[in-house]
Amino acid sequence: MNYSFKWSVLWTGQSGYWLLQGLLTTLELSALAWILAVALGILSGALRTVNFLPLRWVATFYVEFFRNVPLLVWMFFWYFGVPPLLPRGIQDWLFNHGAEFWAGMLALGVYHGARISEVIRSGIQSIPRTQFEASVAIGLTTFQAYRLIILPVALRLIVPPATNESLNLLKNSSVALTISVAELTFQTRQIETYTAKAIEALTAGTLIYLVLCLSIATVMAKVERRYAIPGLIARVGPAA
Amino acid sequence: MKATLALFLALALALSSGAPALAQPDTLEKIKSSGVLTIGTRTGSPPFAYINKNNEWVGFSIDLVDVLIKPEIEKAVGKSIKVEKKESTPPTRIPLLTNGSVDLIAETMTDTPQRRESVDFSLTFFYTGAQFLVKKGSPIKGINDVAGKRVAAQQGSTNAKILREKYPQVQLREFPDQPAAFQALAQGQVDAYTNDGIQLAGLKAKAPNPADWEIVGDFYSEEPYGMAMRKGDAKFKAAVDAGLKKGFESGKYFELYDKWFGPKGDVPYPMTSQVKAYLLKQIGK
Amino acid sequence: MDVSVITGNFKFLILQGLIGIGPFIGGTLRLAIPAILLGFVLGIFVGLARLSATRWIRMPATMYVEFFRGVPLVMVIFWIWFIIPQLLRLPIPEYGVALTAFVIFEAAYFGEIVRAGVQSVPRGQVEAATALGMTATKTMTYVVLPQALKNMVPSLVTQMIVLFKDTSLASIIGYVDLTKAAQIVNNREIKPFQIYIFIAIVYWLCTYSMSLFARRLERRAA
Repeated sequence: MNYSFKWSVLWTGQSGYWLLQGLLTTLELSALAWILAVALGILSGALRTVNFLPLRWVATFYVEFFRNVPLLVWMFFWYFGVPPLLPRGIQDWLFNHGAEFWAGMLALGVYHGARISEVIRSGIQSIPRTQFEASVAIGLTTFQAYRLIILPVALRLIVPPATNESLNLLKNSSVALTISVAELTFQTRQIETYTAKAIEALTAGTLIYLVLCLSIATVMAKVERRYAIPGLIARVGPAA
Repeated sequence: MKATLALFLALALALSSGAPALAQPDTLEKIKSSGVLTIGTRTGSPPFAYINKNNEWVGFSIDLVDVLIKPEIEKAVGKSIKVEKKESTPPTRIPLLTNGSVDLIAETMTDTPQRRESVDFSLTFFYTGAQFLVKKGSPIKGINDVAGKRVAAQQGSTNAKILREKYPQVQLREFPDQPAAFQALAQGQVDAYTNDGIQLAGLKAKAPNPADWEIVGDFYSEEPYGMAMRKGDAKFKAAVDAGLKKGFESGKYFELYDKWFGPKGDVPYPMTSQVKAYLLKQIGK
Repeated sequence: MDVSVITGNFKFLILQGLIGIGPFIGGTLRLAIPAILLGFVLGIFVGLARLSATRWIRMPATMYVEFFRGVPLVMVIFWIWFIIPQLLRLPIPEYGVALTAFVIFEAAYFGEIVRAGVQSVPRGQVEAATALGMTATKTMTYVVLPQALKNMVPSLVTQMIVLFKDTSLASIIGYVDLTKAAQIVNNREIKPFQIYIFIAIVYWLCTYSMSLFARRLERRAA
């Protein structure tokens, strides 16, 4: 089969612009989904450790159901399955403001929220129960105990598996291309569609992901060293 | 970390300098040795190629291959062959063809001068034009009404390209294939879906409620359909064209057309005399 | 809620999509089971290579792991789908593309689990084995790996569940797995809510059984 290389397609014409747009979309999508995931993760991870059973069950259902179904299925579900159920006004707003982006963000955030929940839960559970008992003994409510004592320590403990999950989130943002979110991988396919230069396009995309992931991992390794709690350095639990 | 990046980049660059201009393998030889003709075709473009209610993969383009082209290929290679189908979509069909995963694209691909730079086309086997599919009662009546509206198209299609280049005021949304675009239209995410008229007719006919949809607009582009194959493969092209030519001459082509597009067919779409003349002119009639 | 679309297409979704029996090339289980087994085996080699004292074995293994952990699986699938047939001048069927992509991608992750497992075996074990006169290979095979495997079971099963879910991405290249089968049905019937909730439940049943099995294994090994 004939293939003639033409690396210049990456910076002539639209390609450079598309790659940049794709990268920005990937970052936006991942950042927003990450915030949602962390919020849901902290909430459900903590709820799974409290004594009040109904809340525990709700949190457990959320985690066990959402993290055991493939992300791709969730993408289709949030993008195709959910909008028809919403009130007309919201639907119209969504369709005028990039429904696929919001569906992708929700799918990514809710899915990874369930996974981060497990990481946070094992972080919380590795803190001796005496900490909680002591907080209650000095008069803090359960909520205050979690907010002021348990969670700050837990969050420092889980930096490595949490970084791992966050990187997974960034990489999983590529699945959003199946619902037409114009993120980085979608754009590499777009370049390939218009220039027929698949290898060049895929190389560009792959390099960008590699640089992104490896630099985030390096930065987070430094963060972990700085925030490590002496005496509790041992890695917390297997990441889900 | 830096070592990994460097190695990857080095590999990629080495690929580009080292990859030789490989000799064009003969598709007929390939078919002869494997006994299989692999075609790229669609799964959601009724009635050209789609998966019907019984979950069978059928269609007009598929029939053209099975009935007209397969016998010619068998004659050319001197043995009987099997036809295998792989799914191809506008963004994936040319790469699948050039990397050898499929030998022939038999779906709804428009023959354009720009595409002829990367692939060869067979004789035109259908002739249509681009229009719009809208919800019944929509204010959109054609290409002049779509400025500022949200229009869906398939990523990599001629329709997307034309809108992108000639009508930039349109809010173009590109989807990986026809079903995804149609669902966006059904949900109101876009105001119109643009594709070739015959495909819109197929989609409308197969939709859960055909009466909800309208096909509007004059052809804003001309779309002759051809089957795509790898560039420079003269013997294979001769076989494919011979198959189609025999089909036109013997009338078998028109029988197949009637099966899918006739009054009793899946998607009634009578062939105008101009289209018939165009098709026959190709073979000198 | 109208569930007739599920009951009407149940056979197609389960037999073709989940298992792989039918006219199309597909089947989640048909892909996932070999992928998990092969990925794990390759992962053992990768993990052990990362622990090798020999630099030219250790460096490539490290770069392999760093590379595949730094790119999305979707990218890897596209690479293999488009480029490898071109380089090898051979067409590769979808099943082969998907299987290859999953095996080489997940092997990097399995490799890390194996590495962590081996590193968690106390150094004293290796020293005792050497003192008894065992060669490095014998030590690894009979002393270290068995103990390491015991420690690895939870992470291993977690990763296997991840791989099982990842097989849904094979639908992107047209492989008719459960997700693609659902898409085919939905494209025709347009009832996404029911269809996707249904396959979510099917996936959940599979992965939940896998994690129950893991918990049982853990309890037995403890």
